Amino acid sequence: MTGPAIFLLLAGLGAIAWVSARARALRLQGVARASGRRDAVHSLPGYHGWYVALWTLIPAAFFLAVWANVSPGLVTQDVLNSTAAQALPADGFSRSSILGEARAIATGAQAGAFNPLSEELVQPYKDAIGKYGLAGAVLALVLAFAGGAYAFTRVRPDFRARTRVERLVMASLLIASLLAIITTVGIVASLLWESFRFFSMVNPIDFLFGTKWSPQSAAMGYGNEDAFGAVPLFWGTIFIGAIIAMIVAIPLGLMSAIYLTQYANPAVRRWMKPTLEMLAGVPTVVYGYFAALTIAPALRDFAVSIGIQGASSESALAAGLVMGVMIIPFVSSMADDSIAAVPQSMRDGSLAMGATTSETIRKVLIPAALPGVVGGVLLAVSRAIGETMIVVMAAGLSANLTLNPFASVTTVTTQIVQLLTGDQEFDSAKTLAAFALGLVLFIVTLLLNIVALRVVKKYREAYD
Amino acid sequence: MTTKRLPTDWKSDVMRKRIARRYAAERRFRLIGLFAVLLSAAFLAFLLVTMLGNGLRGFTRTEIAVKIDFPASPLLLDPNAITDQALSNANLPMVTSDAVKKALGADAEEWVSHTAWIVLRDRIKADPKILSRTETVALPASTEVDLAAKGEGSPEAEAAVDRLKGAGLLTTGFNSNFLTASDGTDPTQVGIWGAFKGSLLTMLVTLALSFPIGVATALYLEEYARKNWLTDIIEVSINNLAAVPSIIFGLLGLSIFLNFLHLPRSAAVVGGMTLALMTMPVIVIAGRNAIKSVPPSIRDAALGIGASPVQVVFHHVLPLALPGILTGTIIGMARALGETAPLLMIGMRAFIATPPGGITDPATVLPVQIFLWSDEVSKGFVEKTSAAIIVLLVFLLAMNGLAIYLRNKFEKRW
Repeated sequence: MTGPAIFLLLAGLGAIAWVSARARALRLQGVARASGRRDAVHSLPGYHGWYVALWTLIPAAFFLAVWANVSPGLVTQDVLNSTAAQALPADGFSRSSILGEARAIATGAQAGAFNPLSEELVQPYKDAIGKYGLAGAVLALVLAFAGGAYAFTRVRPDFRARTRVERLVMASLLIASLLAIITTVGIVASLLWESFRFFSMVNPIDFLFGTKWSPQSAAMGYGNEDAFGAVPLFWGTIFIGAIIAMIVAIPLGLMSAIYLTQYANPAVRRWMKPTLEMLAGVPTVVYGYFAALTIAPALRDFAVSIGIQGASSESALAAGLVMGVMIIPFVSSMADDSIAAVPQSMRDGSLAMGATTSETIRKVLIPAALPGVVGGVLLAVSRAIGETMIVVMAAGLSANLTLNPFASVTTVTTQIVQLLTGDQEFDSAKTLAAFALGLVLFIVTLLLNIVALRVVKKYREAYD
Repeated sequence: MTTKRLPTDWKSDVMRKRIARRYAAERRFRLIGLFAVLLSAAFLAFLLVTMLGNGLRGFTRTEIAVKIDFPASPLLLDPNAITDQALSNANLPMVTSDAVKKALGADAEEWVSHTAWIVLRDRIKADPKILSRTETVALPASTEVDLAAKGEGSPEAEAAVDRLKGAGLLTTGFNSNFLTASDGTDPTQVGIWGAFKGSLLTMLVTLALSFPIGVATALYLEEYARKNWLTDIIEVSINNLAAVPSIIFGLLGLSIFLNFLHLPRSAAVVGGMTLALMTMPVIVIAGRNAIKSVPPSIRDAALGIGASPVQVVFHHVLPLALPGILTGTIIGMARALGETAPLLMIGMRAFIATPPGGITDPATVLPVQIFLWSDEVSKGFVEKTSAAIIVLLVFLLAMNGLAIYLRNKFEKRW
């Protein structure tokens, strides 16, 4: 029996269980009420319905989930015991490839066989899959009936169905929120595990402080020792994300926030704020394309025309500029918040002393809002260094330790993409290096975020 | 010992100059602020105008009317038995190029897209009777001619366009193929439907996973969780997840879903799961704010007439908070729709020329399609990339517009 069919069958059974249990509970409720014992009924009929439906569905679904993981092994065992399998070669690799092909044909994932042996195994496979599929379906249905029947016998006026159902609801809410922890643990564990494998091949000191990055040559078998020095990548990331992007984003973001909060009339503000926020909503692949197609060639032509050596069409400046524009809304909304948090009395006081608005802003508002602004900038930096598509498309691939913004540099995220796309075996140092880079990126962005939130929080308490 | 301080003479030249200087500084500061706002907005406008300018042309395509004499052409086809097999054996590419040469001259072969025979195939399939008569068929022009007709081609192509225009054979029309076809190698024939369908399937998986989990988490944390170490860890993890760079989620998807669980590579289901992990914290944070803003009096009233805590939440709090949660969900989904980097990690950058049939089929999504096309050397892909970007932006704008509309419609002051 196929997956969707059994799924539909179970759903139907669940619905029947719900309806019949509810009907029975309604009748019992009617009887209890007719005899004047209103308080004898604990739960509403709907809860009885849910109770029985859950008892019908959950054991069967749980069994199916387990079965889906167990049955392939049983199927393979069955096929190996068949007469056609006697002809299989003893070598484990070709054995499993033939078995895999036969399975693919039997399930309809593949049309024809490359290996004549697998053709013969198709029929045993089909038989075995059918057999275990039927067994699983029958067992699931038996479980559903058994669970439903057990629960149905408990439908009585004094049965606390609501309490039981609510306990399950609470449990599922708790499980849902534990998923956040599981994901975090999953991220950390997978990064640590793969990085650990990487660091068993490459010395962590070389990785963190080496200045030569050429994983390609390492993969080809020469220059193994110092090919994984990540300093040029760290520098490229900082150069683009923390220096060039911030030179664009901080003044523009801060001044926009100041203008929109202090000077602009409400109508302008109402329109400009969402417009600037659109900058943050544009997908980064669009920014990357724009940087690579329009900004980078223009910058190269400009650099060539003023006679700069080594101007590349994939430059740190192009990626940094566009990334800075993308970051503007983050800086400006953080600055907006922290300027708004400065007490109005401080502003009024300064204005009453005869200071102009700009003097008030520069001498009173900005210093008072500074921790919030700094926090916002740190958050923006963490976002910029984790940004991938813009640098992948516009920053280039050559690992240069250069101060020239017109030269091509590469970043951590670019290299992660480079190392992990394409076909390669999964235990070479080259692939695993991506996870080590990911680990560094994860730690750095996390630290930046924690520090930023600390700074913002601490400052917020100052005026409480 | 008091030194007598003279009262400031506001009328004196020194003071007047000083005030003028201060006011000038004020005006300058204000102008700088205005300039910053305008510069940011100008950048956005520049981006949109560039994309529109490049992309709108991608929605049109140039076609060349070619008269084809079907009975005379060496087609190995029986009009009464048109099957896919027969069509693929009929040597249509050669027939097409012969017909083009016959109609337009020997050098015209280059003017027509080398996949133009597909148009012929579809015409024959739709109406086999066409084989018994001479028919004028509009064939897609090659990339060079297409670009030249739109105003930026090589001199030879320009000359060809002039000749064709003179003969009245050139038409430029809406390229419906772009919306219905999938990825390909020939820019005149590619379309976004495959990637769009992939995006749709991926978003479906993302929504189906992240919405219930996100809402459940928000409800638990906001309504039931006691303050203890477990809730603290949950809160910290969610805040951290919201700040983790998206590519890290791609690494997680690669190492757990693909290498550990052996789920299918490049499939919408894995992409959806990866994006769901990213979207969930957004929904949780939005959901908590929405739940928080439901006034306690409503909970107290429900509890007061005997509702259980679960009934209070599911009958009263959740329905009232739902508009806010939905707004947050749409914003989170819009972000997921534009996300590229994590999907590159799990192999969704593969060349896929057929639209996915289900969530386990190999698929690609719109942003990845844009990324892949942006790497193509052929010039015809520039306008296709921009056109795909327009489609993506239209969708994002529509989603954000919907979120704003919902927020305004359901905004409540208690």
